[in-house]
Parts: sequence; structure tokens; C-alpha cells
Amino acid sequence: MRFPLAVAVVLALLPLGLPPYAMTLLTEALILGLFAMSLDLMVGYARLISFGHAAAYGFGAYASGNFLLHTSMPLPCAVLLSGLLGGVVAIPVGWVCTQARGISFSMLTLAYAQLLYAVAFKWTAVTGASDGLAGIPRNPGPFGVTWWDTKAGFYYLTFAYLACAFLLCRDLVRSPFGAVLRGIRENEAKTIALGYNTRRYKIAIVAISYGFAGLAGALYAPFAGFANTELLFWLLSGQVLIMVIVGGTGTLIGPIIGAIFFLYVQQKLSNYTDSWALFFGVIFIAVVLFMPEGIWGLLRSRFPRRAA
Amino acid sequence: MALLELDDLTKRYGGIVAVDHVTMRLEQGEVRAVIGPNGAGKTSLFHLITGVVKATEGSVRFAGQDLSSMPAHQRCQRGMSRTFQLTSLFPELSARDNISLAAQSRDAKRWIPFGGGAVFRDAARRGDEALQRLGLTHIAERPAGLLSHGDQRLLEVAMALAQQPKLLLLDEPTQGLSVEETAQAVDVLAGLFAAGDLTVLLVEHDMEVVFRLAHKITVLHRGAVIADGDPETIKADEGVQNAYLGGFA
Amino acid sequence: MSDFLPFLVTQCLNALSQAALLFFLGCGLTLIFGIMRIVNFAHGAFFMLGAYVGYSAVHWTGSFWLALIAAPLVVGGFGAAFELGILRRLYGRDGHAFLMVTFGLTLIMGEVIRLIWGVEALQVKPPDSLSDIVFIMDEPFPVYRLFLAASGIVVAIVIWQFLERTRLGLLIRATSQNAEMVYALGTDVALVRSAVFGIGCGLAGIGGVLAAPLVTASLGMAPNAVIDTFVIVIIGGMGSFLGSLIGALLVAFVQVFGTYYFPDFALALMYLIMLTVLVVRPGGLLGKEA
Repeated sequence: MRFPLAVAVVLALLPLGLPPYAMTLLTEALILGLFAMSLDLMVGYARLISFGHAAAYGFGAYASGNFLLHTSMPLPCAVLLSGLLGGVVAIPVGWVCTQARGISFSMLTLAYAQLLYAVAFKWTAVTGASDGLAGIPRNPGPFGVTWWDTKAGFYYLTFAYLACAFLLCRDLVRSPFGAVLRGIRENEAKTIALGYNTRRYKIAIVAISYGFAGLAGALYAPFAGFANTELLFWLLSGQVLIMVIVGGTGTLIGPIIGAIFFLYVQQKLSNYTDSWALFFGVIFIAVVLFMPEGIWGLLRSRFPRRAA
Repeated sequence: MALLELDDLTKRYGGIVAVDHVTMRLEQGEVRAVIGPNGAGKTSLFHLITGVVKATEGSVRFAGQDLSSMPAHQRCQRGMSRTFQLTSLFPELSARDNISLAAQSRDAKRWIPFGGGAVFRDAARRGDEALQRLGLTHIAERPAGLLSHGDQRLLEVAMALAQQPKLLLLDEPTQGLSVEETAQAVDVLAGLFAAGDLTVLLVEHDMEVVFRLAHKITVLHRGAVIADGDPETIKADEGVQNAYLGGFA
Repeated sequence: MSDFLPFLVTQCLNALSQAALLFFLGCGLTLIFGIMRIVNFAHGAFFMLGAYVGYSAVHWTGSFWLALIAAPLVVGGFGAAFELGILRRLYGRDGHAFLMVTFGLTLIMGEVIRLIWGVEALQVKPPDSLSDIVFIMDEPFPVYRLFLAASGIVVAIVIWQFLERTRLGLLIRATSQNAEMVYALGTDVALVRSAVFGIGCGLAGIGGVLAAPLVTASLGMAPNAVIDTFVIVIIGGMGSFLGSLIGALLVAFVQVFGTYYFPDFALALMYLIMLTVLVVRPGGLLGKEA
């Protein structure tokens, strides 16, 4: 717990010394961190590789966007509700996708994401089609709370969500449910032979993972003020998968670091050159070849945990 | 009423008959060995009993209940635990964690997504008991993937035992073991079975192991039962000797 | 109703020409997956590279036919080189290492192409002999599309014969079933793998150069192509040559007729079909499970 605590303290204090544009960037990094962590639940703990996680993210964004635009629901409620909705909707999705295993499972998640993308493109009423939803407000709600209107305010709101989500996920992976997931990851046939209905566990983790991803997307909509089909695009699904792998799978904190790293490098590189995507590609290939445990794995080997 | 009743159990893959109208009665407390040359259908039979593979014909009744439509994980919950011919463990987890997961599956709260202190404690207790019965307490903390082959085979048996099964299915427990390891394993298993509280179906190739452990023997050849009886009768049976091409007398 | 038949015929020919392009893409991807168990995310990028190389070849030599030869060679060669240099180090690691690396390659290739050829979409003129219009049942139809459809059929037959009749084809089929055995028989499996990756990319390259006159060479080609290719191969079955053919035909016909009859739902329809196929047969129509 020491390292995540250290990271949390740093993230909590960092904004005090940062210019506003950096705070915006950091907020986006935390939102992506939540998104990446949600994917790690599936990828790192159950070896269910989703190629279509943007579906959950975009869904959450459109959901909270609609709640905030068309109702007077206060922001935290809209965000939470959207995340919950994302999780519930993901149950039948999980059921369909877990009909298959391995690469076929991944392809099904991609198919679902593309379907959502295609639908969003046309469903003008709910999604604003290719224009998307714009002008998404940060509703104050019945008590007139407006502190999340400021950059700092929204940052700390996001930080709070991320911290709570992290603690919940940590509890989850350390619970009996988490132990079964580990079994599924290591040897699913044996886990079934031991008497576990692995299908149910897989559907459950897909729903939970998509729910947290929806929460991240739901935060993004009021953060950016808009939601569009880019949030459902497969390129984003690929990017978040990279954040997880670069950060370190199966660690929860690794993907958060991966997301921060990703955004930071993207920002720095795009200042120097238009071809930042080129360097990104090179970095990814290098990480895969030489640092398969990701950033978190590298840090852990440099600072090994001492025995309690 | 027998604990396990197989009636005309058959599995066909296209033109190939893997299991051919097998009928068998297994009584409570019995240790039955299933033997036969390679390809006789022994592991296929296990797959049919445990539900890994769906039968083409015939039925499986366990403790009086027809299992035909029950999926594999549910049959295990009913009280059947098995080991595999090719060692199947969780290699990155410690031996204790392996067993804990096996024991956990009997807990009604095995799925709870938070806390779980009580669940883990109960599972650990049952796991430690099983480790002790198999003489594996000294390797409890080691990752299962790093154990010796002999210890791995016994760990699998321990995992099955930790589930406190009504029926234990062991698929070639001494496969791949050296002569010494086999002798050790047989000693442990004999001690285990001597307690009399287990019903065991055992697939084995090593006839010495069979004669030391089994109360009764069923012989399979090309998927069908060709002989059934106590060890002395089987030893003398000509049909069995022919099936093994040269016998073992 | 009398003008329905000409309409049907021309639309079918349209679909066939579309299917040809999709087939080039799908066949290469499925070949690579079938033999090497690699999901080549960069396949769209190789397609795009083919189009741009084709553009340059036409630009420098004035000959479209020369471009048709140059593009697959350059693209295939680059693919084989990448396999040799990078992918080879990843065998024995699990599947998502390849995915990551080929995704990284997509990013790199996209940028390099942008640096060399710029942001503007580039027109590639087809040769004069193919620029005409013919009349089929009194309906005008571009000759180039007929040429595409014909190319697709020719290449499909060539590859089929290659796999069935030649020694390398046999080695490829054998390696896809049991690589270790092939190795034990004294074949350099590594060489087979490089060859397969090269051929797969080369096929994508041909697709690119053939597609260029129709859609122009642009940076948006890669993302669109990747998704289309995956859909085809998923429907047809990963690793099945015949599956990629069927998948390409199915997707092309759905796209062409779907866009005509249900313009709003055509896109969604395609993904719905993919979902349905996967649910009923998780390995694809003719595929081997991963």
C-alpha cells in the first residue's frame, strides 16, 4: 500500500504548484487512469483482453452528457448513475462475448464497440450523430454546489473518484471473487473442474470493468464539455490497452501510471514535433521488447518490497 | 444403491467409438482401478463422468441423481473431484494458494467480491488438513510450478481431497514419476485409502500400483469393458492378457 | 421490373469488385494469423503503403502496370524485414505482445508516410486502357471495376493453387498445423514465417495499389482498412483461406446492397452480422479457434 499511497499524496499535492493548463492535463490523465485501471481488471486479473473498451467509455460519456444536458441532476449523481448504467448494460454484452474464448472473445468486444460506434453515428436524438453533444454543463444540483466548476475543483472531484475506485478495485481483487479470477487467469479448465461456474465470474468482471470505464467516460463529458463518436473509436480502445500494458498489467496502479505517462509523453512530444505518433510507436515497441512488465514492473524491481 | 452408476455410457466422435456402452457400479468406500492399453478410452470415460465431454448415449447416475444434463462445474459441486492425466495446476500460485482455491469452492460465500477473511480462513484450514494427509506441508509456500513432478501429482490429489469429495477420480496419479517417487506416492495413497472414508475411481498403467491399491479392477479395451472383478481374477483372465499383448503374469 | 435486372447485375459486379479488394486484405491477414498466430494490427498500414508506393511508381515511371509489380514487392519486402528484425524476438511470448508491436508499427508507418508523401490525398490515374466505361445491359459500368473483380478472381485462384500445388505452399499448410514437426523435418520454420509475413503484407500492398485509383491514396486508409479486414476475417474464420473469400464476398455484398437499401443502417448491419456469426460459431464460419 505504500507506493499507491505515495502516488496518491503526490497527486493530491501536485496541483498546488501547477499552472492551469497543466491542471487540465492532469485531470484528463486521471480520467484516463481510471479508464485504464478498469481495463486492467479484465486484462490483468482475468486475462480477458478487450479490444473495444472505448465502447464503455463512450457510453458513459453520452449517458452523463444526456443527464447533465436534459435534467438538473447534480454532476456527481449524473456521473455515478452513468457508471452504474454502463455496468448494467454490459451484463448482456459480457454474456455474448464470453460465449467465446481467447482471440474470439477479443474480437467480439471489438464487434460490439464498432456496433455502438455505428449506432452513435446515426442516432441523432441521443448522441447528436457526428456532431456529438456539446456544451455539457457541470450541474450544481439542489444545494447549489459549484466548486467543481473550477479547474482545481474538478481535478479534486476526479481524484476522489479515482481514489475510491482504486480502493474498491483493490478490495475486489483481494476478495474470494478475486481469487477465483486468478484461477481463471492461470488455468480456466482447472477452475471449472474445481466446481466454479467460470462463465458467471467472467460476465461479472466484464460488467464491473465496463462500469468503471463508463464512470471514467461519464467524468470526461462534463470535463471537456462535449461528447462525440471519437470516444467510441477503436483507436482509443487500442490506446487504453497500451496504457495498461505499458503501465503494467495486473497491478491496478500500473495502468494509472501508464495513462499519466502516455498523456505526458504525448504532450511533451507534440511540443517538439508533429510526428509524436512516430516516437510513440517506437516507445511502445521498445517497451514490449525490453520491458514486458511495464513501468510498474520496472519500479518494483528497482525498489523491492521489504518483508513486513 | 451404488454411489456411481454408469449405464451404456457411450461416446462417438464421427466414426470412432471412444467409449463403448460402458456399464459399471461403484459402491461407497470402494477403490476401483480402471486399466487398459493406450487408447482404451480411460480418460474419455473420466471426461464423460465428470461432464467435460457430453455423452452420445447412456447415463451417469451419482448418489441416485441423473447427471446427464449437468455441466462439469456442477457435477464437481455434487461431490466429484478429479485429477488430470497431464498435470493441471495454477503454476504461479503457491501450493497453499492452489489448495485454498480448491477448498474455497465448497464455501457458499466463495464468490463474495469484498473482504472474505472467514472464507479464506476456512479454506486454508481444509487445505492444510489435505496437505498434511498427503505429506506435503513442507512445500506449502513454494510456487506450484516449481515443485518436483512427484510433488505436483500429489498436490493435485491434495486439491481434490480438500474438496471433501464423495467420489475421487484420479487419472494416472503416478504418471511420469520415477520408481522411488512412485513407491512414495503409493505409500501415501495406500495410507489415504486405508481410512476407508473415500470412494475412488483410479486410472492406472502401472500394474504394481493397481494391485497395491485397488479392491476391484475394470478392464477397458477399445472403449468397452472386457473384464470386471477382483485383482486375482483379472490377473488370470486370458482376454485381458491378450489385450495387453503378452500379459503381465 | 425490366430495369431491375440490369441494376442487379451492375450492383453484383460492383460488389464483386469491392470483394476483390477486401479479399486481398483478408487473405493476407488470415494467412499471417493461420501460420504465425499473429494478429497483424498493422495490416491496414501495409495496405496504405501499397497505395502510396503505387502512386510514386506511377509518378516516376508513368506505368500503372509497373506499379502493380513494384508495390507488393516493396511492401512485402518491408513486411518480411520487420518480421525478421522485430517480430522474431517475440515468439514464445503471449499473443498481446504481437498486437502491441503491430499497433506501434501502425503509428510509425502512418507518420513516416505522412512525412514522405504529405497530408494531401494523392490521385492515382489508372492506365488509359482501363479508364473506359462499358455498357452492361445498357447500364454504364467502369472498366476499372471489372478489372478489379477479375484481378480478385485471378489472385484467388493463384493463391489457391500455390497453397495446394507448390512445395512452399505445402510447407505453409503444414506449418500452420504443426510447426514443430515441420522443423523436425529439417525445414527452416523461421524462413517460412518470414516468407508468410512478407506474402501477407505483399497481398495487402497489391490491394492498396489497386484500390488507389478508386479511393485515392490518403492517410485515412489505414484505420478503415484494418477494421474492414478484421470483420472479414472474423466472419470467415481466422486462418481459413476459403473463409476470407466468403467473408469478403459477404461483407462486400452487404455493403453494396445495404448502402442502397438501408443507407442509415448499412454500417451497423455489418457489425451485427459479425456479432451474430461469432455468437453462433465463435471461430468464424470456417475458422480454427485461436
